[in-house]
Amino acid sequence: MTEPKEEVDSDRDALLNAAVLRWMQELAPQGILLTDSALNVVGWNRWLEERSGRRSKDVLGKNLLALYPDLIERGLDASYKDALNGQVRLLSQRFHGYLLPIAPTEFKGYAHMQQSVRISPLSHDGKVVGTLTIIDDVTERTAREVELQGQIEIRSKLLASEKLARKESEEANRLKDEFLATISHELRTPLTAIVGWATLLRSGDLDANASARAAEIICRNAHAQTQLISDLLDVARIVSNKLLLTLTSVDLPSVIQMTLDAVAPEAESKKIHIHSTIEPEFPRISGDADRLQQIIWNLLSNAIKFTPIGGTVDVRLRRVDSEVEISITDSGIGIDPQFLPHAFDRFRQANSATTRAHGGLGLGLSIVRELVELHQGSAQVHSEGHGKGATFIIRLPIAGPKSTGLSEKTQSAGISDKLAGLGSQAPLDGLKILVVDDEQDTRDFVRAVLEKCGSEVTTASSAAEALGAFESQRPDFLISDVGMPGEDGYWLIGRVRALRADQGGQIPALALTAYARTADRLRVLRSGFQIHLPKPVEPTELIVAVASLAGRGQ
Amino acid sequence: MVLTDRQNDALAELINIAFSRTGAALSELTGQRVLLSPPSVSVHRTTDLPIALARYIPGEVASIHQVFAGPVAGDALLLLNYEGAMELTNLLIEEPIPDFLDESAREVLTEVGNILLNACLGMFGNLLQVHVSFSVPRLHLESLDDLVASLLTGEDDRRYALVVSTAFQVRDSAVSGFLVMALSVASLDRLLHEIEEWEGRQH
Repeated sequence: MTEPKEEVDSDRDALLNAAVLRWMQELAPQGILLTDSALNVVGWNRWLEERSGRRSKDVLGKNLLALYPDLIERGLDASYKDALNGQVRLLSQRFHGYLLPIAPTEFKGYAHMQQSVRISPLSHDGKVVGTLTIIDDVTERTAREVELQGQIEIRSKLLASEKLARKESEEANRLKDEFLATISHELRTPLTAIVGWATLLRSGDLDANASARAAEIICRNAHAQTQLISDLLDVARIVSNKLLLTLTSVDLPSVIQMTLDAVAPEAESKKIHIHSTIEPEFPRISGDADRLQQIIWNLLSNAIKFTPIGGTVDVRLRRVDSEVEISITDSGIGIDPQFLPHAFDRFRQANSATTRAHGGLGLGLSIVRELVELHQGSAQVHSEGHGKGATFIIRLPIAGPKSTGLSEKTQSAGISDKLAGLGSQAPLDGLKILVVDDEQDTRDFVRAVLEKCGSEVTTASSAAEALGAFESQRPDFLISDVGMPGEDGYWLIGRVRALRADQGGQIPALALTAYARTADRLRVLRSGFQIHLPKPVEPTELIVAVASLAGRGQ
Repeated sequence: MVLTDRQNDALAELINIAFSRTGAALSELTGQRVLLSPPSVSVHRTTDLPIALARYIPGEVASIHQVFAGPVAGDALLLLNYEGAMELTNLLIEEPIPDFLDESAREVLTEVGNILLNACLGMFGNLLQVHVSFSVPRLHLESLDDLVASLLTGEDDRRYALVVSTAFQVRDSAVSGFLVMALSVASLDRLLHEIEEWEGRQH
């Protein structure tokens, strides 16, 4: 016999109610809070007991707003009023943080357990009789989101800095492109003059005056070209960290005087007055004389270039504590304040209009800065602005830079000093010289220069041919190119130095090469040449080098 | 189905009162001035909702959904397009959030929807003088078609949808949103009837 249906249903309802109550009270992974319509607590589950530290016997029957007065302070009693009016309210963690001030079980960085809360009305027969509050602990989720947010911010900062780096590299590329355009223009300008005037000369249509003028123009432009190329090579060395100093004891006043003499014609042609003030009894400093001269020359030619006709340039040299200070002030076009910080940057000129008006690659000042820094000094520029002139100040330590271990030691450093000691009209009289170069023009040029000084010149167009000539002619002196098709200059000097002394193995040898880098120079000297002369070479420089090595004119 | 001008004006006026309460509640909650622009009201067949709203909600829709039951029953929803949901959250919590809706952001939107739906439904309840019970609000992210399909699977026939368009105005920004109430014919008739009565009492 089966039981009546109502009894089964009511048994089941009782069971279900008991189960739900048990679950709610003992097992629910959330806080469950029940109140009556007066907001007196009628239900407070195990979860709330454990986390709030309040036992249900301590809270049951008490008013919720009296137990937690800060609910009113934080306006949350309104949500309970809404619930009593039949509305469901959701309280998000982001807006409210928490409902009940409970300490967090984990993530102790939070003052209160972070909560997500739903408050619902409890209705019976269409009337609200109380409220049901469900509280979820979302502290861990919140901490995780904050951490994620932090990572996202870091990522977006990284992204921003990447963008900036890309922008900077694009700017650097743009400057390089502009620079290349300037180079090709600057290199072409003197070439145009050289080719044009050389063509006129060759035509033979020029009279003596015009020919002399043509030769002078060709010379001047070739010098300008040489200067451009040597600036470029310096920059290349600087970029690859291969620029090394030859440290000696330098008499700075005489270096400055020499430079002043060198730029005097240029200044005179623009009627620029150069005034120099040099302290007496100036100490010698440790540095690279050629590079120091290059620094001063660059600054002086810049000053002259950017100073209008009739202007003045002031050069001062003084001692400041353990440093020397060179300042060069001009009355020129000045520098705009926004360009000042970039004055020493590579590939930069204030604007391309300036480039067009004044020529040049904009490398001079960057080379100055690098050279000064190699001397462990500092370079500064001041200008009151456009049209107000500029002052460049170089400071160098008297003690000089600490040795970097490797420094250039070459014979060529002494050549200019020896020029003075060279008196004879035919200093190379009777000297038998073998000239090796694969280029006809170079051979002819060197032969012409040396024969003018009284030497007997034999030429060879390859290393192999030179070795044959060496054995048959027994020259007193060897001048050889290094880079040649087939066997090169290194091979040649190797074979020569392998000979016995009586076969000419000890012959003075000079390398004349377009390989002008320091590394090339060192390799040339190690391979057995005594002198390394970079192309292009001045006739006097060549004569002095040969004479000094051959022991003539000393 | 087309509302008469009188019904339209009365509905808009009533809803505007609920909106101003919503704005005040959100302003208090967020500490910044939040306004809801005056509503514009229309009625559509629920099946036509995708056509009516597709222009404004082309992609995923964020909906805050509360079911209400009682003598008048139906579904009440606040709809925002995904970008709008992101923007609204950003505007209201005034601190950067990730470029997606994390759980906290979803909860914020749910609370905002809850406040708006409570204000509107509460007012209708008072007007009709009936007790309406609400479900807990839930946030869904889905396509408009899927959303409408879910509205049509209900037991009773919610054939009509009252659509109220508005915009949340926070600082200098405005985020468009739609309040949608899907109702049975009987519920809608009763609502419109009561609204006309109310309107008559105002004059």
